[in-house]
Amino acid sequence: MTTRAGTGNMGAALGSILSGVLEGLGGVLSKSSRGSGAGASSRRRAGFYRLQLVPALLLVAYGALVIWSASLTIPEASFPRHLLGIGIGLGGAFAMWRYDYRIFANMSRALLVADIVLMLLPMVPGLSWSAKGATGWVKIPFIPMTFQPSELAKLVTIYLMSSLGAEYNGRIETLRDYVKLCAILTVPFLLILLQPDLGTGLIVLVVGASIIICSGARRSWVLVTVAGIVAFSALVIAMSMTEGMPHPLKTYQLNRLIVFADSSVDPSGVGYNLQQAKIAVGSGGLLGKGIGNATQAASGFLPEAHTDFIFALLAEEFGFVGSVALLGLYALMIFPTIILAQRVEAPFGKLVLVGVATMWSFQLLQNVGMCIGIMPITGIPLPFISFGSSSMVTQLLAVGMVQSVWHHIPKAA
Amino acid sequence: MSPFLVVIAVLVVVLLVLLVAFFLLGRGGTRFTFDIGGASPKASGGADASSETGFKNRLLGLGVFSGSIIGALLARLWSMQLLSSADYSAQAENNRTRTISLLAPRGRILDRNGKELVTNRASLSVVASADVADNAIAVHLLGNLIGMPAMAVKRKIQDSSHGAQSLRVVAVDVSRRVVAYIDEHPYLFDGVKVEQRSQRLYPQGSLAAHVLGYTGSITSEQVKAMDEAAEGSMGYELGDIVGQAGVEYQYESVLQGIKGEQTVYVDADGNILSHAGSVDAQAGSDVVLSIDSDIQRAAEESLEKNIKRLHDSGREDCNGGSAVVIDVTNGEVLAMASYPTYSPNVFVGGISTDDWEVLSSEKSNNPLMNRAISGQYPSASTIKPLSAFAALSHGIADVGTSYFCSGYWTGFGAAYGQYCWEKNGHGTMNLQTGITFSCDVVFYEIGKGFFYSETPEGLQETFRSWGLGAAEGIDLPGEAAGRVPDAEWKWNYFSSSDDSARSWLGGDTTNLAIGQGDLLVTPLQMACVYAGISLDGVTWRPHLLKSVRSTKGKGSVIEYKSSVLRTIQQEQSHLDLVRSGLKGVIYEESAAQASHFTNLSVSVAGKTGSAESSKTHPHGWFIAYAPIESPKYVVASTIEFGGFGSEGAMYVVRDILGEIYHEPDTSDEVETSSVR
Repeated sequence: MTTRAGTGNMGAALGSILSGVLEGLGGVLSKSSRGSGAGASSRRRAGFYRLQLVPALLLVAYGALVIWSASLTIPEASFPRHLLGIGIGLGGAFAMWRYDYRIFANMSRALLVADIVLMLLPMVPGLSWSAKGATGWVKIPFIPMTFQPSELAKLVTIYLMSSLGAEYNGRIETLRDYVKLCAILTVPFLLILLQPDLGTGLIVLVVGASIIICSGARRSWVLVTVAGIVAFSALVIAMSMTEGMPHPLKTYQLNRLIVFADSSVDPSGVGYNLQQAKIAVGSGGLLGKGIGNATQAASGFLPEAHTDFIFALLAEEFGFVGSVALLGLYALMIFPTIILAQRVEAPFGKLVLVGVATMWSFQLLQNVGMCIGIMPITGIPLPFISFGSSSMVTQLLAVGMVQSVWHHIPKAA
Repeated sequence: MSPFLVVIAVLVVVLLVLLVAFFLLGRGGTRFTFDIGGASPKASGGADASSETGFKNRLLGLGVFSGSIIGALLARLWSMQLLSSADYSAQAENNRTRTISLLAPRGRILDRNGKELVTNRASLSVVASADVADNAIAVHLLGNLIGMPAMAVKRKIQDSSHGAQSLRVVAVDVSRRVVAYIDEHPYLFDGVKVEQRSQRLYPQGSLAAHVLGYTGSITSEQVKAMDEAAEGSMGYELGDIVGQAGVEYQYESVLQGIKGEQTVYVDADGNILSHAGSVDAQAGSDVVLSIDSDIQRAAEESLEKNIKRLHDSGREDCNGGSAVVIDVTNGEVLAMASYPTYSPNVFVGGISTDDWEVLSSEKSNNPLMNRAISGQYPSASTIKPLSAFAALSHGIADVGTSYFCSGYWTGFGAAYGQYCWEKNGHGTMNLQTGITFSCDVVFYEIGKGFFYSETPEGLQETFRSWGLGAAEGIDLPGEAAGRVPDAEWKWNYFSSSDDSARSWLGGDTTNLAIGQGDLLVTPLQMACVYAGISLDGVTWRPHLLKSVRSTKGKGSVIEYKSSVLRTIQQEQSHLDLVRSGLKGVIYEESAAQASHFTNLSVSVAGKTGSAESSKTHPHGWFIAYAPIESPKYVVASTIEFGGFGSEGAMYVVRDILGEIYHEPDTSDEVETSSVR
């Protein structure tokens, strides 16, 4: 192994990440060529954390099935592209698994810089690429693909907050430290808001908050912070709704909140998406309409059926049985992650797992919840299912993060 | 930029500055350092038991958080997908299904022998889907191709009155050139198609145009009225073609078929994806009329010929007229002609404003007006049989009463002298000869008799009993009632005049007795009067409908049952007197007139009339029935401002009888002495 710990400078940090990935890939190759050699893995627990890996792979397969059925009627849902995303993601995940995650524990400064760079990439002229009113995409040079850096930034933020939180070893003693952690978390959050991508920002906020709480923040501080956020949000919404005041929320954002509060508002206008999604989900019934028979999605009544509203399509095609299967696979993936967090000794590993589990839980709540009217509508993809390579790669990398923690548990004496 | 965004930006900057400060300050601090080895934290985890418990509880909390998220989603999905599924399914179904009306072909209109008067033909129409309206290039090209302003094309495409999914008709009856151009350039005309649609066709041209009427797009008022009236809910909607005049209007409910429905599955943009079930349209029923197209044609041709002849002989105002032929034994109308006429074809596919203005203007002599039922004229001498009946019934005169005509009558005193039309005088007359020679003096005497009798309005009473002053109730829209003037009417009608001018005078009664002045009748009414005279007072209700036939299979759905309109009790001797008088008109009044009828194998009775008009020449009347022995046909004709009845209307009647009996008029004798 090359030495890369302790390098503080940004270029070296990025380089080390890259070389790590390459080494991971090389490892695969060398391993197969060398046969079952001993190598450097004598300290590691061999193999994969199957309890989490199998449900995750099943989810990927389930998602591929859903996207394939969507591709029958939605031209934008290109099945080959989806498979490409899965391929890249699996490769990345494998690299993550090989790579010792603990290296990130003392790279917080580099991680913060990486986070900021990722967030600023879409604002670089020439690189930026806009979709749906947000400039959250980056053109990948030389190939006709785009990437959403804020997706990757979620993982970087998990490492960042975990590396900072792990320092306190389970208890944050002073308010000053708590405020510091919160202040650092606001950096990626505000940068995402500038894109603007409220949905991803919300995920980063919740995931970061979850890590801070698990790092040992005092309950009273957390409660006061939450109260402050609620009050601030209420103020922002109230201002947006009042004539003559500055409107920090955009009209469509405010409309989503209004529709969330009362779904019967303007079913052909701002309430249309929610209305159609609910019809799609509800009309699925117990067993669903079957592949290719989802009239809501196939006939275009359901907007963004292959991305944001993929769950509505799934629920329409596969019914309640299909929805339960999906939620079941998520449960089988999230709970083992939390259980693993219990088993890992080091706080950094615990906190990384907390971050990942929170991310999956919250994205599930947000995405499925908006399809069935219990959450406001935001453009958050459903992990492993939604069409879109950025999300797929990111989520598979997250699986790799969990597997890496398992892979690097020191062997019991 | 809103001030709030500025505040946010400032906050971001402040935060960044704070962060940098933290990094700089925290470098030397004890807690906040960045150099902890991930594998070996500073404090050993195992040593701090309280921290381990803290982690345990927090991870438990995270588990509860994730579990409750999944639980909440499951509960909601349970409620939506299992409990309310039927409701959502209905909404999904409602989302994707649409119904399109299928137009039903309209029933045909046939004459009594089954000859088609109105039928349908397939016409090539350019139709476009709704989204073509947004394609400015296609709209412009279509406009140029069809010869229509682009705005008009756009408006037609935007008209959704037949349903959002239905194709919009841009132009009907387009030429083969247009069809070929559209077919050859499909890329220019995305969403534009050429379709066959059903259009009204008039194989006999303008024949019986006034009887048949025309069709047009339903108006919004009509939709409302018809929806309220129709119990079976015909379901009219804007854009439907309905009868707007004549039989097309009268028998709309029969002619109009029942629209079919096609259920289609659509996508969110309204494009049709596939067809579901459909209910076929039911064609309307055929209507068989009592009209005989041969007699009708003869009537129209003779009418036009004679009106033109009179017009060209210096009677410039002579531009209109009518003729009606009724079977006296059952009231069937065999022919009903009105001049000037029009071509119902101009209404097919919507009439242009210019055409409409021409057709409805007075300058072109109201060609849309059916003068046989809507034209109102003084009856003139054709009323004399009724005046005779009145006099006989009320004891003003009897069969043998004799009168002397010197040509000038001073029955109301010298100051109020009135001429007979024959200023040389008829000499001694009685009622019968008074009718035959149309002697006015005889009827002045009758008028005077009524004026001073105990029943001063006996004339009006008799006229009304024969149906004057009221519509006959023929099965056509727009029938006029006419007017039988009396003292009360005159008083009210001239309400702005002084009392002496409003009062009923003796002269009014004598005028009424000879059918001049304020009396107004329609040709149909007089035809019915003479039908009654020929049949001993029995008048059958005039009608055009013979039967209604189903388009599928043979046989009639409805067979019209003739009914007696009225029966007037008149002594046989009175009837005989009047009929003898009418026979005399044909064969005795003048040799020239007789020459036109002696060449017919059937005997004819009739009466001329010349109604004083506002212009130089009177309206000419001629009414006749035949055969006298067993009456079958009554023929009435009126020519506006065409001179005496014997100068124009008589020829029309003779031509019609010639067509009926296949015995054309061979006499070319022209009346020299003016017979009225």
